[in-house]
Amino acid sequence: MTDTRDEPAPALLSRREFLKKAGAGAAALGVAGATAPFSFAGPLRYKGRWLSGSLTALTWVHFVPSYDQWLDPWAKAWGEKNDVQVTIEHINNALLDTRAAAEVAAQSGHDLFFNLHPMAVYEDQVINHSSIIKEVEAKVGKYLPIAQQSTYNPRTKKYFAVSDSYVPDPVVWRHDLWNAVGESPATWDHVKAAAPKLKAMGHPIGIGQSQEIDSNMALIAFMMCFGSFIQNENNKPTLLTKNTIDAVKFMAEIARTGETNDIFSWNGNAAANNNYLYAGTASLIFNAISATRTPESGAAGGQYADDLWIWPIPAGPHGRIGLEHLMGCWSIWKFAKNRPAAERFLADLCIAGKDATIQSQLYNFPTFANAMPFKEIRKVAAADKHKPLGKYTILTTIAEKYTHNIGYPGTTNAAIDEIFQKYLIPQMFAQVSQGKLSAEDSVRHTNTAIKDIYAKWRKRNMLA
Amino acid sequence: MTVALRRRMFQYGVVVPFAIVLAFPFAWMAVTSLKPEGQVYEQSKTWTFSPTLENYGYLLHHTGYMRWIRNSCLVGLAVVLITLAIALPAGYALARLAGRVGRSLGVGIFLTYLVPPTLLFLPLSRVVSELHLGDRLWSLILVYPSFTVPFAIWLLMGFFKSIPQELEDAALIDGCSRLGALVRIVFPISAPGILTVVIFTFSLVVNEFVYAITFITSSANRTLTVGVPTDLIRGDLYNWPGIMAAILIPSIPMALVYNAFLNRFITGFTGGAFR
Repeated sequence: MTDTRDEPAPALLSRREFLKKAGAGAAALGVAGATAPFSFAGPLRYKGRWLSGSLTALTWVHFVPSYDQWLDPWAKAWGEKNDVQVTIEHINNALLDTRAAAEVAAQSGHDLFFNLHPMAVYEDQVINHSSIIKEVEAKVGKYLPIAQQSTYNPRTKKYFAVSDSYVPDPVVWRHDLWNAVGESPATWDHVKAAAPKLKAMGHPIGIGQSQEIDSNMALIAFMMCFGSFIQNENNKPTLLTKNTIDAVKFMAEIARTGETNDIFSWNGNAAANNNYLYAGTASLIFNAISATRTPESGAAGGQYADDLWIWPIPAGPHGRIGLEHLMGCWSIWKFAKNRPAAERFLADLCIAGKDATIQSQLYNFPTFANAMPFKEIRKVAAADKHKPLGKYTILTTIAEKYTHNIGYPGTTNAAIDEIFQKYLIPQMFAQVSQGKLSAEDSVRHTNTAIKDIYAKWRKRNMLA
Repeated sequence: MTVALRRRMFQYGVVVPFAIVLAFPFAWMAVTSLKPEGQVYEQSKTWTFSPTLENYGYLLHHTGYMRWIRNSCLVGLAVVLITLAIALPAGYALARLAGRVGRSLGVGIFLTYLVPPTLLFLPLSRVVSELHLGDRLWSLILVYPSFTVPFAIWLLMGFFKSIPQELEDAALIDGCSRLGALVRIVFPISAPGILTVVIFTFSLVVNEFVYAITFITSSANRTLTVGVPTDLIRGDLYNWPGIMAAILIPSIPMALVYNAFLNRFITGFTGGAFR
């Protein structure tokens, strides 16, 4: 037993003192409780003005800060025009899925919810957005196929989201380093050949194999270049093929000879590969143009800004087939408190697609054909003064020719969404790259898991 | 070489490397918090840089930092009070409940502490919503005791068991009521245990992330753990100096409190271990 008897005896409370202090404490708590809504919730924004309602929206902290600097005032102005108090809340992109799960569980939350991938698993929880899409189409042209494939369920004939934008996914590479080893990332064979030399120079490749969105996109796109697809055009699973096994072996070889264990440690952090580049370590990553815009702004990695080139995905045996980097998707929950305002806001935001594209510095591409046609985007890209001059013009080619939805050649559906959210593909690659499983076993195990997922959603009538 | 000198050299040989390893993160935080943002990624500027207090200025004047700290402290204090109010009588009662029932109840209560928030946040979201506490600090004050109370009960139970029953009996014979014996005899002797519960509960609450990110959305109501990653990471751009400054500021008083009460803290944790 510990001896506490040597310590001085603490002053004792009399019963009266005890009751007095307890009473004072309870009173303080009571006062705090009574005033809590005011002291905790902050001041009213439109004090003294009658409003027809309020609208809450949750979105991410955009990778290009100028976009948020445009969106927030735009939303405020929209609210004033429509007599609605709009509250836009921004959270870190890695927390969006957690937040969505919580809102669905609570059947309460924001009226509008933005995510970086189509939330097909929540199709039952959201309204059919078809009327919004029709309205926007009437103003700014056709909904692009990539958006249609990403947000429409042909089985239930329901639009489970509206995509206002998508983000092309180029390969971002350090020209100075690649030049030093006499290579360029035109094909995956070139990447494999250059990887050991670049790693020996202290500049490994930075294609992640972690549980985060960039690893997901890069590896699924890589598989497609090898003729490996998670599903076919009828949304039937097709993972277990020789092409998939070859692709996994190929990437494991790149990881072994040209990458470091860093690529397995980026769980939940989609910006890890960006930071790998800014620190001057990585020689190549897959990323949207935020990876070049940030160094250009001088905020991080500015010394490499002029040496960062962007190209389409390297070609594989099956060609050059890429994915979008992010698919900006807004959903209106069935439990949204102000559905009319949410629908109006969303339609107007899509109609303002051109402003969004420009303010995001060509990070966002609009999903409605005439919001800002490719020709116009190319002009803006060509006028960009950052070195090497004209480097952003390739973005429109990437967007038009090499950018597909997750689940290509099928649609983005609940099964694909679940596979995506569980990071089964990065896991499949990592197990082989880390030597834990053979390529054959890893693909077989993943295929079993994927088939179970498809069966589950088929049972729920969400898949044909 | 004398035995005393050898012993001292051995002690320092063990303690100094430990101290360096444990102090390094704090030193790194302090150094990074004084760097200009543009120099963080420059490897040549790891130790040679132009120190600046700009990051602290940014934190205090351009973010809701002081509000996040205030929110964390408010929630922390409220949860500490609730935890003590429940855990003190519960821990005492379980300690004095002789036999298998008391032991089983104690173990059962502790097991609830082991259920991770990543499992509980979904059902608790519903509870918070039904009570209309979404995006209010009261949601955290309601939910946090679900993991602080079990641990506190378990800790206090062990501590109360180490207090001889005879002391209470003597107080009762001298005319004290049961409550009087508790307040005048048991609680004062249990100060190290109670202090441990206070510090531990406060630390748990201030460090909690999952519930805070789930139940709180507006910047005004964010706590420190949510405010820092949300407002100091702008997309792919980590404001490392700001983040380091934001973490360093609260960690200093916490470290001082831990040090000031170190002996009592150790007593509190080991209170029930030597019975």
